[in-house]
Amino acid sequence: MKNIIKIAWRNLLRYTRRSLLTSSMIAVGVALVIIFSGIGSSFKNEIIGVITNSNVGDIQIHKKGYVGSIDNLPLDITIPANGVKKIELLLNNNTEIKSYSERIRFGSMVSNFVQTTNMRLTAVYPKKESQTCPALVKRIKEGDSNSDTFVKPGSVVIPQNIAKGMNLKVGNDIVLIATNKDGSVNGMTFKISGISENIMGPQGKDGYIHIEDAKSMLRIEDGEITEIAIKLNNFNKLSKTYTILKNELMQIQGEKTGKPIFEIHTWEELVPFSTIAKIITLLIMVVRIVLFFIVLISILNVMMMSVYERIGEIGTIASIGTLPSKILALFLTEGISLGFFSAILGNIIGIIILMIINTAKFNFRFGDARTEFILSPQIPTTEVFLSIIFVVVISILASLQPAFKASRMEPVEALRHV
Amino acid sequence: MELVILENAKKFYINGEISIPALRGINLSIESKRFISFVGPSGSGKTTLLNLVGCLDKPTEGKVFVAGTEINRMDRKTSAKFRGDNIGFIFQNFNLIPILTVYENVEYPLIMVQNIPAEKRKQRILDLLEKVGMTDQKDKYPAQLSGGQKQRVAVARALVTEPKLVLADEPTANLDHDTAYKVIGLMHNMKKEFNTTFIFATHDPKIVGEAEVIYTMEDGLITKIQENKKTGEVC
Repeated sequence: MKNIIKIAWRNLLRYTRRSLLTSSMIAVGVALVIIFSGIGSSFKNEIIGVITNSNVGDIQIHKKGYVGSIDNLPLDITIPANGVKKIELLLNNNTEIKSYSERIRFGSMVSNFVQTTNMRLTAVYPKKESQTCPALVKRIKEGDSNSDTFVKPGSVVIPQNIAKGMNLKVGNDIVLIATNKDGSVNGMTFKISGISENIMGPQGKDGYIHIEDAKSMLRIEDGEITEIAIKLNNFNKLSKTYTILKNELMQIQGEKTGKPIFEIHTWEELVPFSTIAKIITLLIMVVRIVLFFIVLISILNVMMMSVYERIGEIGTIASIGTLPSKILALFLTEGISLGFFSAILGNIIGIIILMIINTAKFNFRFGDARTEFILSPQIPTTEVFLSIIFVVVISILASLQPAFKASRMEPVEALRHV
Repeated sequence: MELVILENAKKFYINGEISIPALRGINLSIESKRFISFVGPSGSGKTTLLNLVGCLDKPTEGKVFVAGTEINRMDRKTSAKFRGDNIGFIFQNFNLIPILTVYENVEYPLIMVQNIPAEKRKQRILDLLEKVGMTDQKDKYPAQLSGGQKQRVAVARALVTEPKLVLADEPTANLDHDTAYKVIGLMHNMKKEFNTTFIFATHDPKIVGEAEVIYTMEDGLITKIQENKKTGEVC
């Protein structure tokens, strides 16, 4: 095998310019996959991090039917107090759960005594919410951003766009008016304790109040809530933990109906960005497919030319007794070597470029969001190994036909070729 | 002992609907350790005959035996192995592998065909290169050699597997007069040294003069067989 590799390598070097050109094309393709994968994954993870850590959490539990009407923030599809206790028991017994936060979400009118607008409110226990969505307090750019006290009873955190539109500042009073599930309209005066920046997603412009204030405002006396947001210790175990929790939750059934009374969703099912995340994954796949064709066509072209130019030589080695299998191995090794070393080169180029991007700390922001995203692509180790395997497999496929043709050549015909 | 036997060997090439006879029934037997020449004009069937004897092609009719084996029934793999073990080839255009050095060209059949271990290969190759006078050039590539030197390397490559039979198709056609004589002399010496049978197809009177038996071919048939007593003059 050592000798086959040596001969294959020398044959590649025989046509240095052609081999270099092909190798460069493959290397650029591989480098693009690595760079795109590194940057794409970094971007995706960064945005997912912002969304899950700022307001959605990793998983959410609701009363069955709530998510179907989530745009209306219904107050009649709630988790009752005894249901909350059952869910808390499950969550406390699961070691993968880092924290959870009970919430009441509802729509309200906001008035500064001059103007009125509407706003979605999330009523929370500040400490539990900060543990579940640790990036939330970082979004509070003005006012109290203490993770334990960012909303106190009687205070409200409003989103930047409403503050700007209604010319509101920290310390100003506003009136929040909401309709409870019985249809009565109630209003309370709140002091603005903080102004939070907008982020991407439907929950990026929510205001926050203390959950006890929401209970007073909505006349909730029996401890019901609308959702529980959950933070996991390890985001990579999302799918597994979700499945376990789902199975456990399905055991909690209504006494009358005998059907599950809760529903559980991962962040992906709740946030439109999950579609963008899937598109990024799809784009990486498209780049891989482009690479597939680059490698396939390049190697096929080189190997076909190589066989055609060396027909006489194939005749010589066949006539002196080289077995067809060895001729096949010789040409296959040539194609595989070209693909393998090109993939290594492409990976080196890709990794160097990712390291440069990491060092340069490129940052960007979306729209009027203040949050800066720093492009810090990780070297996609799996992608590096997969790209090598991928290129080698395609190289084998591309070399197979020319190699097979070479091995099947009749020596007497090949020797006649000029 | 007879090394090569042809029994009514015929070969036709089909071109569309036309069948072109290249050999029209050859019967011959060649003993081992001989220096044989096939002469005749172009298209007389010399190369076709050599291809049959060299297991590179199969007769359309008749039988061909080499070293006691009927080659008609061999599949591709068996015939490749048979060639590697029993037959050496010398070509008109030398057919050295351009990416390999002189040493590596001679080494090639031992590695790729006979799988001889490295320690056994080296001495055999060096001895052979010394015999063909190419020791000093062993690290050069074919492109750096003259025609005569290339053919010497080709002779060494043909003999390195210690074949029973060496087939040479127009081995001196691309060489000048002096070089051709030297190469013939070299092959003659090798025949004596290794007891190998050499069979040539040639137009070259220098080789013809050196052959022990001269077969004259015309239109796919052997028309004359001559025994030559005056051989070895060029050695």
